[in-house]
Amino acid sequence: MTSHIQTIIDPPEDGHFRNGVATDGLIPSPTTLSLNLAINGRDHALDVEPRVTLLDALRERLHLTGTKKGCDQGQCGACTVHVDGERVLACLTLAALVDGRTITTIEGLADEDGTLHAVQAAFLEQDAFQCGYCTPGQIMSAVACIREGHAGSDDEIREYMAGNLCRCGAYPNIVAAVRQAAQELR
Amino acid sequence: MTVHDVKHAASDSARLEAVGGRLSRVDGPAKITGAARYAVEQQLEGLAHAVLVDSTIAAGKVVSIETQAAKAARGVIAVLTPDTIMKLSVASDWFGNPLAPQRTFCPLARDVTYCGQHIAVVIAETFEQAVSAAALVMADYDQAPALVELGDGTAGEIISIEGMTKEWGNAQAALAEAPVHLSAVYNTQRSAHAAIEPHGLIARWEGDRLTIWEPSQWLDGMARTYAEWFGIPFENVRLVSPYIGGGFGSKALALAHSAVAAAAAKMLGRPVKLMLTRSQNFTSYGGRATTRQTIDLGADKAGRIQSIIHRGVSEVSLEGMWVEAVGSITSIMYDTPNFSSRQDVVRLNTVLPNPKRAPGENPSAFGIECAIDELAHELGLDPLEIRLINYAEQDPHAKKAWSTRQLREAFAVGAEAFGWAKRSPAPRSMRAGHQLIGWGVAAGAYPVQRAHGEAVVKIMFDGSVEVESSSIDMGQGTYTILAQTAAETLGVPVSQVSVKLGDSHFARAGVTGGSRLAGIMTGAVHKAASQALDELIGLALSDPRLPFHGLQANTLAVKDGRIGSPRGDGPELSIAELMSMLGRDRIEAKGDTLPAGTTAEERYKNYTTIAMSIPHTEGDYSRHSWCAHFVEVKVDEDFGTVRVSRVVSALDSGRLYNPKLAESQWKGGIIMGIGEALLEEGIVDRRHGRTVNSNFADYMLPTNADIPDIQTISVGIPDPHSSALGGKGVGELGIVGVAPAIANAVFHATGKRVRDLPITLEKLI
Amino acid sequence: MRDFSYLRADNIEAARNAAALPGAMLLAGGTTLIDLAKCGVVEPATVIDISHIEGLNAIDVTADRALIGALAKMSHVADHAEVKSLFPAVSEALWQAASAQLRNMATIGGNLMQRTRCPYFRDPANFPACNKREPGSGCSAIGGVTRGHAVLGVSEACIATYPGDLAVALVAFDAEVDLGERRLKVEDFFLAPGATAEQEHDIRPGEVITAIEIPGSAAARRSTYIKVRDRQSYEFAAASAAVGLELEGDGRTVRDIRVALGGVATKPWRARAVEDALKGKALDEATIREASELAMQGAVDHGANHYKIALAPRVIARAILKLGETA
Repeated sequence: MTSHIQTIIDPPEDGHFRNGVATDGLIPSPTTLSLNLAINGRDHALDVEPRVTLLDALRERLHLTGTKKGCDQGQCGACTVHVDGERVLACLTLAALVDGRTITTIEGLADEDGTLHAVQAAFLEQDAFQCGYCTPGQIMSAVACIREGHAGSDDEIREYMAGNLCRCGAYPNIVAAVRQAAQELR
Repeated sequence: MTVHDVKHAASDSARLEAVGGRLSRVDGPAKITGAARYAVEQQLEGLAHAVLVDSTIAAGKVVSIETQAAKAARGVIAVLTPDTIMKLSVASDWFGNPLAPQRTFCPLARDVTYCGQHIAVVIAETFEQAVSAAALVMADYDQAPALVELGDGTAGEIISIEGMTKEWGNAQAALAEAPVHLSAVYNTQRSAHAAIEPHGLIARWEGDRLTIWEPSQWLDGMARTYAEWFGIPFENVRLVSPYIGGGFGSKALALAHSAVAAAAAKMLGRPVKLMLTRSQNFTSYGGRATTRQTIDLGADKAGRIQSIIHRGVSEVSLEGMWVEAVGSITSIMYDTPNFSSRQDVVRLNTVLPNPKRAPGENPSAFGIECAIDELAHELGLDPLEIRLINYAEQDPHAKKAWSTRQLREAFAVGAEAFGWAKRSPAPRSMRAGHQLIGWGVAAGAYPVQRAHGEAVVKIMFDGSVEVESSSIDMGQGTYTILAQTAAETLGVPVSQVSVKLGDSHFARAGVTGGSRLAGIMTGAVHKAASQALDELIGLALSDPRLPFHGLQANTLAVKDGRIGSPRGDGPELSIAELMSMLGRDRIEAKGDTLPAGTTAEERYKNYTTIAMSIPHTEGDYSRHSWCAHFVEVKVDEDFGTVRVSRVVSALDSGRLYNPKLAESQWKGGIIMGIGEALLEEGIVDRRHGRTVNSNFADYMLPTNADIPDIQTISVGIPDPHSSALGGKGVGELGIVGVAPAIANAVFHATGKRVRDLPITLEKLI
Repeated sequence: MRDFSYLRADNIEAARNAAALPGAMLLAGGTTLIDLAKCGVVEPATVIDISHIEGLNAIDVTADRALIGALAKMSHVADHAEVKSLFPAVSEALWQAASAQLRNMATIGGNLMQRTRCPYFRDPANFPACNKREPGSGCSAIGGVTRGHAVLGVSEACIATYPGDLAVALVAFDAEVDLGERRLKVEDFFLAPGATAEQEHDIRPGEVITAIEIPGSAAARRSTYIKVRDRQSYEFAAASAAVGLELEGDGRTVRDIRVALGGVATKPWRARAVEDALKGKALDEATIREASELAMQGAVDHGANHYKIALAPRVIARAILKLGETA
């Protein structure tokens, strides 16, 4: 059974929910949710189980594989995307949670004409990646890091980019790229 | 797959694009926009999702597996166990030796030899369904005591690796006679590759043809394994791995989970995707093995080493064999008239360890490079000085000349850049507030591993050039340096070259490991491109319709994509115009570096095994890359926390094909070395033989905040004995010597000698 | 992750009622709930998404108090100008926690509900025995790998460390948590394991955290949070200390001092013995170090975590010294 997100608006007076969700006070059974996710300026309709994360929705259902799965546990940063302009981890975010919010992934960062974002261009110039797998997360994190005002010094960049692990060891070049992009965007 | 082009200012492009130029990665634009599609991101119709169930004991037997609840769960297609999964043939080993052709291979284990061994698999319509159903599979075990730790009372069988014994002179006698002695035991920990891209694959069968999308450092070797497992011709297996999200040695083999996915796909008649969870990436395949080494040094009072006695041991699993050769560079770092090194392995209930970045050399350096630092301290010598006193002018073991050894230059250049001369010699003599400051140095080496390679170069009708190889790019820059090589050889801009890698249907390639790929592949591409160019010029000269007809063979060249006289004084055509006039849609050349007369069987062996690797001491020379690391640490006097605050490394990798990318690899190795020195350790609960920190919150990789600025300086010179274009190894070298440099710096900061890695805070407070 | 049904609560009353349903769990930032659901530690039947409730994310700071809505994000509180100036230890505890991404997700209320990082607790498949998960099943950690485990507030049932940072600062400054019908001191909201390791928080079915309130004080204004760990960032504390200091007019005698510890205890740990020993004393390094040792009264180690007994007092001492230097 597929349903839209049920919002409990009115407090039940008698222990019974209205809105047809759980009128007998019992827990509603799991259903497939119909979601509408606003990603990179486009609306994506999607029917998924409530437990599906934003990360798996992007990669497995919407074929937006630029957002990477490194740990699936909130411990590496490879799945970093922006929700309402702030960097978050897609692996610990239910897709249902962000229905109604604005999502940006690496695929939506460059201009529509292909012009790279200043952070992307700086990553290329500074060779701020090797295998490229953590890179979309690093770039999304870096864009937010600069926007937050946390790119004021190399030490601040290191601290505020610490949530994105890079096993190839591109860290010094990532710092250089963020520093460069922050100056360009100032 | 198309490799994106990078645009540069025209004035810079020729300099950047030449071999040796600092060209940005040609695969970079795909990686920074999310367009680069990694192997397991392939989208297929009808894909089923597999999730593994692992043993929760380290030793014993699986008595029964309860699968009913899982089978009844929503979306579940099948639950396979050792009883129900199809049986495979046993594949041959790294060298192509058949292991047990009479036996069958069951990729799910009934007899458990390590915790985390796969015992069942759940296949479902969605990933989420497979995950939750897998949690419903319950196993009963007949548990046996586990062998868990190297060197303690529970250790298993000890095996001497006789082939690694190195002896010359009379080490025991010379040690007894030496006036200065040092004896110490050095331990290195189990550590993980921890590539950010997890292992996994998609397997699809079409009849008896198998396609595998899987991150791979060795497409042809893994294709051979799949072919042998399923008893199908090698040609029937296609492996696709366009990008690899980090390997570091871990992605060279098809593993048990690979077999499970391929078997499930065959049994179900559907493509199957299986990704290891992050935790399974710590337990399904081994990282660097735990090692212990004893070093006895004898020296005279001037610090000249008279004898080195080295005994090393590493852990290995109950089944299979991998030796972490801790004596691998002990024998070549310093000149000594007497030497003895032996290696054992101890069998434990652990997953088979794997080669991880500079296997052997890295822990080997931790022993000898700490020991010589300890000797320097005992004698009151500067750590740099004692290394120069004992400088090996030739390979002390092979008794051959070095092909090139710029280690003296590395010491000098590194020391100058670091400001080593300002070092205060006494431990605990430098500080800033609560931070004790220490400076340490250590050297490293990595042998030049060579093999033969091949490549296809195509000059297309429109003047574009395609390079094809089943070799791979996991971040080293293969796409880029092969584009540079082809462009330079053919005289075309890099923007006209597209490099296609990572498909086993392309020209074959051996393993990407041991820092051998760049040297092999630049040689093969250079050869193939030269052949294509020769053919193009030959056609241009011989075709009577062309303006070049009748000119001498050496009077034509290609520059900037145009063919004509090198002096620019004759007729000139673009390659596209020439191809059009010749009526050709392509000129294709396959170049290889194999000796003439190589048989088809030898070719197959060359690419699908490591049996035909060429020893680094072949012929008249001993070939290695060299490095010297200078490190500053800050140790909090109260907390014992160690932070690396400065690194200057001078490295000799011979000629660099692209310094920008080589420097990145060096830094990456140095950073992985910082992790192994200070943070990383696979920690096992001895009661269960289980790794308890199999995740990125508890297994500590360095973060950006742990890494300072790192200065790398190339001191290499072209080494014609090591590769066609003069390069030596890059990727493995950087890590070698980092841990001892840090340990030596920690000693200098604190006066405490820590001989057990990682150097965590409780060892210093 | 077991499947569950998903409901959104639009207001706090709806959330309270939904939270009272058997098997229901609240979802705000998701950094604990989704993580633990993936580990198989929690298996909610219904997830009540409260993240869309409006008006619960306000941050209101005056000299008298900081009032922080339960849905305020950790990052926003950390970067809040008045929090930084009037409650620096709170800001420092927050920005040193987790990573920038997790701090953008995690809420203040959810942070108080964070569970332990004990590896045995987090791995039910391999370690069925855990009194926190299954009361009476035993403790897998005791006798196992204990490097990260607690030395204070432990019991025979559980030695799991409380992992958070913010609550350490909150405990130091007598913050209260608003549960609607009830208000509790944060210190009392957290429960040491005793014989009931499964009870980590004093919260009842149907209760929802709506806000925390931190009283302003001179000690809170002059405060700091020092966190020691193996890695420079993105790691839980080996030992941490939230310290606030108020000096007499002479600039060296302690009028008020607050000390709380993280990373070493089963709950955010107020070190009153240290405070009592230093109140009225003139600060000097020897006095500070001696008093800091009192924090470890009653500490019990399990081998590999022995170092914490030496480390924690040094973290306290460093924090006091740092605050004293800024006089």
